[in-house]
Amino acid sequence: MSKTVLVVDDSASVRQVVTIALKGAGYEVIDAVDGQDALRKLDGRRVHLVISDVNMPNMDGITLVGEIRKQPAYRFTPIIMLTTESQEEKKRQAQTAGAKAWVTKPFQPAQMLAAVSKLIAP
Amino acid sequence: MAEVLYIVLALLAGLAAGFAAGRSRPRAAEAPPAEAPDAFRRGVGEFAGAVAPVWSAQIESSRTQMESGIGAITQQFGQIVDNLDSLLSSSQTALGQAAGGTGSFDRGRERLGNVVDTLDNALKAKRQAVRDLAGLAGFNDKLKQMTAEVAQIAAQTNLLALNASIEAARVGAAGAGFGVVALEVRQLADRSMETSVQMAEKVANIGTAIESMLATAEGDAEREGVAVARANGDVQEVVDDLQGVVTRSQESSQRIERAAVGIRAAISDALVNLQFQDRVGQVLQHLQDNIGRLPGHVAEAPPTGPRARPLLDELEHAYTMQAERHAHRAGAVTEVPRSEITFF
Repeated sequence: MSKTVLVVDDSASVRQVVTIALKGAGYEVIDAVDGQDALRKLDGRRVHLVISDVNMPNMDGITLVGEIRKQPAYRFTPIIMLTTESQEEKKRQAQTAGAKAWVTKPFQPAQMLAAVSKLIAP
Repeated sequence: MAEVLYIVLALLAGLAAGFAAGRSRPRAAEAPPAEAPDAFRRGVGEFAGAVAPVWSAQIESSRTQMESGIGAITQQFGQIVDNLDSLLSSSQTALGQAAGGTGSFDRGRERLGNVVDTLDNALKAKRQAVRDLAGLAGFNDKLKQMTAEVAQIAAQTNLLALNASIEAARVGAAGAGFGVVALEVRQLADRSMETSVQMAEKVANIGTAIESMLATAEGDAEREGVAVARANGDVQEVVDDLQGVVTRSQESSQRIERAAVGIRAAISDALVNLQFQDRVGQVLQHLQDNIGRLPGHVAEAPPTGPRARPLLDELEHAYTMQAERHAHRAGAVTEVPRSEITFF
């Protein structure tokens, strides 16, 4: 059974690019448009990895990481931050909140696939 | 797209020029400016309140159009990639089957070769039978010779019995018994002669039959030999032709596969480039937010008039990308940085 990845980004094209990169390698991909939408999508579902933007409306990515970590089922689920954000302070905040990796945009699909594969096998 | 870039460039140019002008006159800015007349302040406030929503709406419209357009393009690329993956998958399956097919061809060639060998062996057995038949014809000749010898013996016996009868008759009554024996011998010789004649006829018939069979068998063996040789050549030719078709099909599949991989790589690059929408979208969002703040900023301005610095500081604070900060401070475009991955 393939692993499920949740992609959270307010940009439809970024969600599409990530989906294309991962689906081709055998991952199942679901997506959400912001942090709140992501929490709804996680509820009652088995997700093996989360890829989230940092700057999003309604709920930003770093707050989302904190909310995910509060849920016992997702305490150890790997989370990758995918962002245009370049501030080191934000990166530290994400690490403190519980993110496992920080990927800056624009990204190569193969690069994203390698990062995901390092954390979970398809 | 051109509309979006035009607005972005115009706004950036305007902001940069304003900021540069602000920076180039730091001492003048520090000097206490003269108070603006109320009418002028109201006019500026109305101006800002009128233009800011329009600018903001245009930016939002452009941002939305760009996002939906690029989203659709990305989705189409996704479908192309799916189709390519499907094509690659079926091509690889076909190649695998063709590779298996090559083995099948080898096995088929071997089995057909065995069939031809079997036919060849049957032909060899038939030729041996023909040789044996030819050997029988030789025996028949000997039988003919033996029949002739039997006839000759019968004739000599008959002659001998005749002489014995004559001698017995010449002796008179004393030779009567011998004459009876001589007569019996003559009768036996006559029957031997008749039998030898019949044997000669039968042997001649058998010889004719054997020769006929031999001629037929030799003709069949020759025709079958030609047919087996032709079948062997045809089988090899057909298998070679089919193998050629499979090989060409394999080469074609490999070319398609290489092309599909190349297209996939090109799409991958295009997908990287299409991510400009996300960056430009964020820049526009920051500008839009800042423009939205403009009327309030003007309304809350001191009597000396609105100052650019607080609004620009707010804008700078909202930036997320190094390129935005660089453009803001240096008034110049910087290269988009390459992606980096940091594992915690």
